[in-house]
Amino acid sequence: MNPSLARSEVPVWNPRNYLNSPETGLKSWLLTQDHKRIGVMFLVATTIAFALGGVFALLIRIELLTPGPTIMSAQTYNRMFTLHGVVMIFLFMIPAIPSGFGNFLVPLMIGAKDVAFPKLNLLSFYVYVAGALIALFGMIQGGADTGWTFYTPYSTTTITKVVPVLLGAFILGFSSILTGLNFIVTTHTMRAPGLHWTRLPLFVWSIYATSVIQILATPVLGMSLLLVAVEHAFGWGIFDPARGGDPVLFQHFFWFYSHPAVYIMVLPAMAVISEVVCAFSRKNIFGYKAVAYSSLGIAFVGFFTWGHHMFVSGQSAFNGGVFGVLSMFVGIFTAIKVFNWTATLYRGSILFATPFAYFVGFLFFLVFGGMTGIALATVSLDVHWHDTYFIVAHFHFIMVGATLMAFLAALHYWFPKIAGKRLPEGWGLVAAVMIILGFNFTFIPQFLLGNEGMPRRYFSYPEKFWPLNVASTAGASVLALGLVIVLVYTLVALKWGPIAGSNPWNSRGFEWDTPSPPPPENYETTPVYTHGPHQYDLPGVETPPAATPEPKHAS
Amino acid sequence: MAAHGNASTAEHAGVPHHSHVGRYVVVWIVLLVLTVSTWAIAKVHLPGPLHILVALVIAIAKGALVALFFMHLYDQQGANRLVFATSLVFVALLVGLTLSDYATRYPLAKPPGSEGALPAPDYAPPPTSRTH
Repeated sequence: MNPSLARSEVPVWNPRNYLNSPETGLKSWLLTQDHKRIGVMFLVATTIAFALGGVFALLIRIELLTPGPTIMSAQTYNRMFTLHGVVMIFLFMIPAIPSGFGNFLVPLMIGAKDVAFPKLNLLSFYVYVAGALIALFGMIQGGADTGWTFYTPYSTTTITKVVPVLLGAFILGFSSILTGLNFIVTTHTMRAPGLHWTRLPLFVWSIYATSVIQILATPVLGMSLLLVAVEHAFGWGIFDPARGGDPVLFQHFFWFYSHPAVYIMVLPAMAVISEVVCAFSRKNIFGYKAVAYSSLGIAFVGFFTWGHHMFVSGQSAFNGGVFGVLSMFVGIFTAIKVFNWTATLYRGSILFATPFAYFVGFLFFLVFGGMTGIALATVSLDVHWHDTYFIVAHFHFIMVGATLMAFLAALHYWFPKIAGKRLPEGWGLVAAVMIILGFNFTFIPQFLLGNEGMPRRYFSYPEKFWPLNVASTAGASVLALGLVIVLVYTLVALKWGPIAGSNPWNSRGFEWDTPSPPPPENYETTPVYTHGPHQYDLPGVETPPAATPEPKHAS
Repeated sequence: MAAHGNASTAEHAGVPHHSHVGRYVVVWIVLLVLTVSTWAIAKVHLPGPLHILVALVIAIAKGALVALFFMHLYDQQGANRLVFATSLVFVALLVGLTLSDYATRYPLAKPPGSEGALPAPDYAPPPTSRTH
């Protein structure tokens, strides 16, 4: 029996935790400064955004089911793919893991009671909501049709509602910056005694690297989007060549943020995977320092590669070559991580549970997407593939595939930590198989379509591309069904799921050293760390007592 | 950075909040002098790019003064200075690699105004008329 819990004099079937104390009302959630509740609110908000973006994706795929018009006009189609991109990137993938799971887990993993600036943390959530609502307002008003990249000069001349969508993305950037700032200060100043940098969980390392990118790159996005909004609203010549501006300058500014933004999405995914692979092979990570430092390496090198989006934009051939070579350096750091994750599995005691299934899917998508990325970084090949479905398939594999796998792995791994309930393992594996296969069936045909020359963003296509487009839409349906299954059993488990106990996976990650769900202050006494996480060769911390179901006969 | 958690309180304790009124006044006067000198030097005839160079040097000096004294970087420890220096490096990266693109583009075979070049664009059509 943990003496700290005995002191708190609550029955073990109803321990005091962040969900039931200090209060449970709606107001206590909306005004909370508890990082765990803010993390949960981010998870709910980003999941809603993910569902919205998913609806847009399905509408796109239904439209592309036949070569001609299917269910919408060409103009509506342009709006659909723009909104799909904006919602998925700015509202789901960028905040989902860092602001959702990161908020919940970083203080738990470093033995802190909260993040460094709890009020700023809550502000970050409301800034996110404000940005999302403004973007939503723009969508209801008709939406933008520029693509999520807002390329000039089209974005500054289109009659669609590009300004509210731009302002929404601009404001969302501040949420991202505030969260990043909070995590950096938290990691530097709030670590519990004994938790040296070399004992820091790899999740925290990777989230830290993400935060550095968020702080350094996001202001440049804000600046670029503001300049587009200004040019659109007042007609000043900044990017529009007809008014004396330079459209390639916009692409430089935009990709200076938006390429590192890919690592804002993928580094948190790697953060999750580094924890999952240890917990489910019951081994410490192979090459801790290499994995930790490669996160920083990716964050750093990610800033030197933006020009590979611009090989055919009119950028100089010299810069094209430089950016092409620099882009390949990202592959080195990613390969270090992939090697170390797979080496961790060697002679591990593998538990093939749902999070591990998503880890396997993650590895496939990361390696496949990454290798096509190396091919695309070669200028001569990119000229052929640029603006075709090959690009669409590539970035869906590397960003979406990897991030989605990690998001779902995190959901299944940490759901007992967050909610204190278990997700159904059988349904979990069924859904994982559907999602991984569905994702492949959606995007592998798109690789083939792109290689045959089908351009992206087009509303119609020649009949010879029909069969592969049908295959892609069919795959998207399987993927969507898998995701709906996850949503349904997660909601059911929230209410009726079996009690998980404090550490159902027997993980030695530090976040499991406290009861599940954690008490409001995380740890009643500040923990002292004498070794790193996932040390399965050492005797673990005494597991906090499990919350057992309340007996029926208890009055 | 200290390995132990309570580093922040120790750091803050090491930086007492003095009121540096005299220092601020001096910095303010120096900033005013630099502003006037920017204006004055603009009146002087200098060869070609020197004007831009001088203006940039003065602007950097003023920015440095603001960051060091008004924003208290002068009183801060290594880590905060490092953060500031890092951000400058990344600004240099953005400007540098962007300019290297402009510097190394192939010149147009038929630049505007030469024989056979495309006509110069009509400037400033109203935005709404271009989309239909």
